[in-house]
Amino acid sequence: MRVTNMVPAMQYAMQQSQQALSTALQQVSTGLRVSQLSDDPSASANMVTSLSASASVDQFTTNTSAVTSLMQTADSAFSSVVTSLNSAITIGTEGANGTESAANRQALALQLQGILQAVIGQANTAYQGAFVFAGSASTMPPFVAASTTYTSAQGSAASPLAVTTGLTAGSVTSISDATTGKTMVFKAAAGDTVATLQTAIGDAVAAGTLSAGTAATINGTGQLEIATNNSANGIVVSSNDAALGAMTATAGSEVANAYAYVGNSGVNSVQVGDAMSVATNVPGDQLFLSGGNVIGSMGGLISALQSGTTTDIGAATSAISAALTHVTQQRVPLDNTLSQLNSQQTYLGQEKITLTTQQNSLVGISLAEAATNLSQAELTNNATLAAAAKSMPQTLLDYLK
Amino acid sequence: MSLSTSLTSAVNSLNAASAAIQVTNDNIANANTPGYTRKMAILQEAEPTNENNLSIGNGVVLAGYQSVRDELLQTRIQQETQSQSGANAQLSSLQQIQPTFTTSTQDIGTQMSALFASISSLSVNPTGSAARQAVLTAGQNLATAFNTASNSLTTQESGLNTQVTQDVTQINQLTQQIAALNPQLAQLKASGQDGGTLEDQQSQLVLQLSALTSVAVTNTDDGVTLTTGNGTPLVVGSNSFALQTATGSNGATQVLDQDGTNVTGSLTAGDLGGTIQTRDQIIPTVLGQLDTLANQFATRFNAAQATGLDQNGNAGTNFFTIPTTVAGSAGAIKMAVSDPALIAASSDGSSGSNGNLANFSAIQTTALPSGKTPGDMYASLVYQVGSLASNANAESSASAASLMQLNTQLASVSGVSIDEESANLITYQQAYEAAARVVSTIQSLFAVTMSMGTAAAA
Repeated sequence: MRVTNMVPAMQYAMQQSQQALSTALQQVSTGLRVSQLSDDPSASANMVTSLSASASVDQFTTNTSAVTSLMQTADSAFSSVVTSLNSAITIGTEGANGTESAANRQALALQLQGILQAVIGQANTAYQGAFVFAGSASTMPPFVAASTTYTSAQGSAASPLAVTTGLTAGSVTSISDATTGKTMVFKAAAGDTVATLQTAIGDAVAAGTLSAGTAATINGTGQLEIATNNSANGIVVSSNDAALGAMTATAGSEVANAYAYVGNSGVNSVQVGDAMSVATNVPGDQLFLSGGNVIGSMGGLISALQSGTTTDIGAATSAISAALTHVTQQRVPLDNTLSQLNSQQTYLGQEKITLTTQQNSLVGISLAEAATNLSQAELTNNATLAAAAKSMPQTLLDYLK
Repeated sequence: MSLSTSLTSAVNSLNAASAAIQVTNDNIANANTPGYTRKMAILQEAEPTNENNLSIGNGVVLAGYQSVRDELLQTRIQQETQSQSGANAQLSSLQQIQPTFTTSTQDIGTQMSALFASISSLSVNPTGSAARQAVLTAGQNLATAFNTASNSLTTQESGLNTQVTQDVTQINQLTQQIAALNPQLAQLKASGQDGGTLEDQQSQLVLQLSALTSVAVTNTDDGVTLTTGNGTPLVVGSNSFALQTATGSNGATQVLDQDGTNVTGSLTAGDLGGTIQTRDQIIPTVLGQLDTLANQFATRFNAAQATGLDQNGNAGTNFFTIPTTVAGSAGAIKMAVSDPALIAASSDGSSGSNGNLANFSAIQTTALPSGKTPGDMYASLVYQVGSLASNANAESSASAASLMQLNTQLASVSGVSIDEESANLITYQQAYEAAARVVSTIQSLFAVTMSMGTAAAA
């Protein structure tokens, strides 16, 4: 085979070796084996999946941390409530002692009122603006002082409401009863009137949701009045019905030591792992009302200390003990969740390391390998250049002088 | 044999050596000229003279020049050039598309993860206005990422339309020049002469044409005939047939033959073929998948919104706005909600409920109608773009290596070796010097002969 011009072959060889050198230099400087998709399409695609998983792990870690703080706040409130209930039991036990004077019992009642206020404060604990024990209705304090009577903003002597007054479809009127610890929610349908609401309240009384005697009437000034008709029974009423207007407690109708739960039973869950979610709240009705009415039992003990017999005080104290048992039981799942979150935090930390290692192996290159590649590329390039320098100037003319 | 005959023979030798030196000189001068084919002086023995039944040689004569060609290798180089140019055209476009799908802070995959992270973050604090605003911002960023990717692809398509027009203009210029050379070459061949420089020029033009489009080359008595892959004539004899461009119904530049027939689909190689293939097949495929992802993702998000209630207790409204058709979804997707309170996080109407956010989060791990999760669908798109670019790169590199080898083979046949020509130069120089010495000797003999009578008279 004739060999004519070696320049194109040399140029091609130099271009190839310089390209390899450039690639090796880039790998050393960036630490990456894959700098563009075409370098390794499969690794690039796997990298997308791995980065997505990594972002999820980061978010789960953030969630775990936030939920842990939330749970710790709730747990702290639990702890305070337990302490308060133990104090209440101590006061009740002391009050049940037949040797205590009436004045001492009044003083104990006063002391217990302070403890009740503390418990209400704990029950209305907020974390970052959200009330922890309000269920999903977390924008408002869940325990509100109850009154016997609420009246509507709408209606007047000149323009009275009537039982035939139509309600706004879709509007919600709710009545929370401090004594039963339950809430009646009435959502108006098309065609509903005040009479429909009255019937619903009657049904709720019959069902035990509302205390006996609770009813809605049109009062003398033409307003809708919802009242318990019992000075010991308090309610909290709210409505967003335009026909009724806002419901407000009638001045002086507040019931001492009575608090109604205006939250709901909603439980929020937050994902802290691919297949793991944790409940982030214990609704106040489940914690303070079902299984043992904490607020009601404390109110009962205050009343018993103020005017009851030692038997009444003893019974009221037993009710608080039952409530304490319930609260203590409710704390167990919360503590379990905290423990789970702690374990999950550790797992997520390991998962993050695993994913980072995976990502490095997908697109990264070890320093040793990159340095070896660079050394090899330099050697090849130098050899190519040396070969070119040696052979290119060589012609017969050099020898014909 | 007379001295005159010998002198004539010596002069023939001088002429032959001189012509051979001229050819050598031409070869050396064009050693680095692209497309040059080395030439050889064809020397042959002169007709002998018969005298007294003796045949006496008359030296050497120059029969002509011969270019040393290998038509087969040239054809292979033209074909490989077509392949390489086509691959390079695809690679060039894909290298511009790749960064759009490379992991960065703004790519679709990252923004999709960020949106799901913001929703997860909102689930911790569903009433938080900052957390709600973060979801809207992440949604907007994802929509922008889709818009940017779509825009990158459509801009690329527009740029390729310009490339098609430029390629067609160059093709028409080249076919005109090739056709103009055909009559001259036909005339040379008819007279039995070598095509020489004209043929070199034409081969070089055909090679340039091969870099632009797929051409079939047929040698005829009227010169070279060129057609496209589907037989559309480009050059026949002295006639060249110009290609035309027109804007198609889809807005893409189409290539028409001289009769107005659309031949776009038949152009598969060369820069024009590679450009058309990228514009009409590769980009639409990628863009179609991007549109499908954007459309199905947005539809799922809107459905999740509809199952929940916003902070005002109303049923959720659309989260994204997308066109009614899948096509164009990636380019047109945008946020439908701008009020953070309208994110339908609640499942029970309470503003603090996060019950519906699970439906949003589930989108991340649930297969879309395409059969893949959004993340997997995007990863598949990334793989496809990377794979196309990798294949084009491999094809281009393979063609370059093959072309290098073919050019080396052709150079071994047709290329000029300075060493060889230097040796030839010495050979022909010596031949010339020897012939000149013969002339000089004959001159001396003539002089002696002429002086014979003069010396006797003296």
